Amino acid sequence: MEKPENLLAPFRALCRNPGAQLDKVLAEGKKAVGVLPYFCPEELVYAVGMRPFGLWGAELECASSGRYYPGFICSILHTTLEMGLRGMLDGLSAVMVPTCCDALKSFGPNWKYGVGAIPVIDAAWGQNRKTPAGEEFTRASFRRILGRLAELAGRRASDAALAEAIAVCNENRAALRAFTAAAAAHPEAVSPADRSAVLKAGFFLDRKEHTAMVRALTEALNALPESRWKGLRLVTTGILADSPALLDILGESGFAVMDDQVAQESVLFRRDVPVTEDPALGLARYLGQAEGCSVLYDPGKERGRELVRLARAAKADGVLWVMAKFCDPEEFDLVPVKRMLEDAGIPLLTVEADQQSASYEQARSALEAFAEMLRG
Amino acid sequence: MDDVLTLGMDVGSTTSKCLILRSGAEIAAAALIPAGTGTSGPRRALEEALDKAGLKREDVAVVTATGYGRATCPGADHTASELSCHALGAHFLIPEARTVVDIGGQDAKALRLNPEGKLVSFLMNDKCAAGTGRFLEVMARVLEKEVSDLAEMDAQATGVVPISSTCTVFAESEVISQLAKGVSLPELVKGIHMSVAVRTASLVRRLGVTAPVVMTGGVARNAGVVRALEKELDTPIRVPPLAQLAGALGAAIYGWEHVREKR
Repeated sequence: MEKPENLLAPFRALCRNPGAQLDKVLAEGKKAVGVLPYFCPEELVYAVGMRPFGLWGAELECASSGRYYPGFICSILHTTLEMGLRGMLDGLSAVMVPTCCDALKSFGPNWKYGVGAIPVIDAAWGQNRKTPAGEEFTRASFRRILGRLAELAGRRASDAALAEAIAVCNENRAALRAFTAAAAAHPEAVSPADRSAVLKAGFFLDRKEHTAMVRALTEALNALPESRWKGLRLVTTGILADSPALLDILGESGFAVMDDQVAQESVLFRRDVPVTEDPALGLARYLGQAEGCSVLYDPGKERGRELVRLARAAKADGVLWVMAKFCDPEEFDLVPVKRMLEDAGIPLLTVEADQQSASYEQARSALEAFAEMLRG
Repeated sequence: MDDVLTLGMDVGSTTSKCLILRSGAEIAAAALIPAGTGTSGPRRALEEALDKAGLKREDVAVVTATGYGRATCPGADHTASELSCHALGAHFLIPEARTVVDIGGQDAKALRLNPEGKLVSFLMNDKCAAGTGRFLEVMARVLEKEVSDLAEMDAQATGVVPISSTCTVFAESEVISQLAKGVSLPELVKGIHMSVAVRTASLVRRLGVTAPVVMTGGVARNAGVVRALEKELDTPIRVPPLAQLAGALGAAIYGWEHVREKR
């Protein structure tokens, strides 16, 4: 059986250069659609035979996007717009842009004005996502988006194709759940940066291909002898926790990620899309059932209760909140969720990060101190 | 156990501090050089402390480095974060300390200690020089004063010229505008100290204020900032005589604990 380190290498390579993957897809004559966070169903893109390409920003200096955004805006949007303006995303047939936070609401107009050649598909869903009316609103919205995607693809969107796409993505979700469990059981073999790369690569690969790679890796991890690793167990939360520099510091400070409640990670695959007669309704219900993300309407702050449950189940020494810089929804959530963790006696460290951070030395001090504090 | 000497090096952004501890209990010597990481400061601080104590490097059992320059500190046997070291140092100097405020050259930290002196929670400021020692240096330069003059000027103030900016660059412009208006320098200095205190107090309040509050780090030497922070937090603040050396002291204690564990 292949060694886990050999199976991990392709994931890391993919995440270092996602653009190469986009070029490859386009060179094969396929059409691709950029999918911005949060919760835009990739299934809709697969259902019309196109390839979704995740747009979660990039670690780059913003030179051109400063014409459209002030410095103090979400770096996912800042850097994604920068990629668009630099031509790094040329060839995409469209970008799918939801409007679930204030910063995102301005992205579509800025993109239309600045990038122009790549059309925007606006995605909106009911904030009251759990009610029948909200579900219906979201279902209808997904149907509208599917129609628009079908136009771009030049083919009909059938319910059978959508159901098939949901099945493919649910298989990927199951594979990722199995992988995160195996990674938690073998922190000696999967560093925090490796774990992130495996999860993130799915945004750039065909989900079927990603599933096969993840399954092979999980199998290799499960074949390892029982781990004797004695480090510190973390559960992470936030929007993104994918900076290799920050994740390397985590590893060097003796931490492993046992589970996460990160919008780019487990939040997307903790639950499957329900199988329903109308597949678009299943996608709407998936959104209604999602938890653990600050852009979701969550009046009772289920996010905090879920985080406590996850930390306890993972026997976590602490929780790390990777706070996305200038993210209002995250800042709002921090106050009540922090209190819930305190009440549960779970130590919390908040580290601010964005995709334009040149140095994480202050984060290193904080993480080392957190490790020293947890070790007593 | 024979006397064991442990040495703590706190290599900060603007100063290098060195302290030698005898068997985790008695301070044998200390040195402070106003040059931080990436300079000759760490080496000079080490040499000066050893000289003062009449010791050689090989007489010291363990050298522990802390501060921003800890990873590149020459001759260090191991490193520890400055947060843990300031907690250890503050507890050594004032055992009843429960909240520690450390304002250094380029950052501010609030630490919560349990009754046994263990660090249980902490917060750091963001990556911005506002409200730190660097902020005061910039302001002193604009006023053509030394940082060490600021506390005395603050004491002479009969009023205050508030500085509203929380950004060092904008605050500098604001101070220059006030100078152009011909305001009283002591009152302007008091306003600068208040702006540091307001920023620091918000950090400490986020962590929770439990008395007694102790202040460490270089800025603790500025009585004007300490008074302003006492007013903001509405609680007395205790400043130990070795406030600026608390990190180096904590590093030396860390080394001592390491030696004890090994034995």
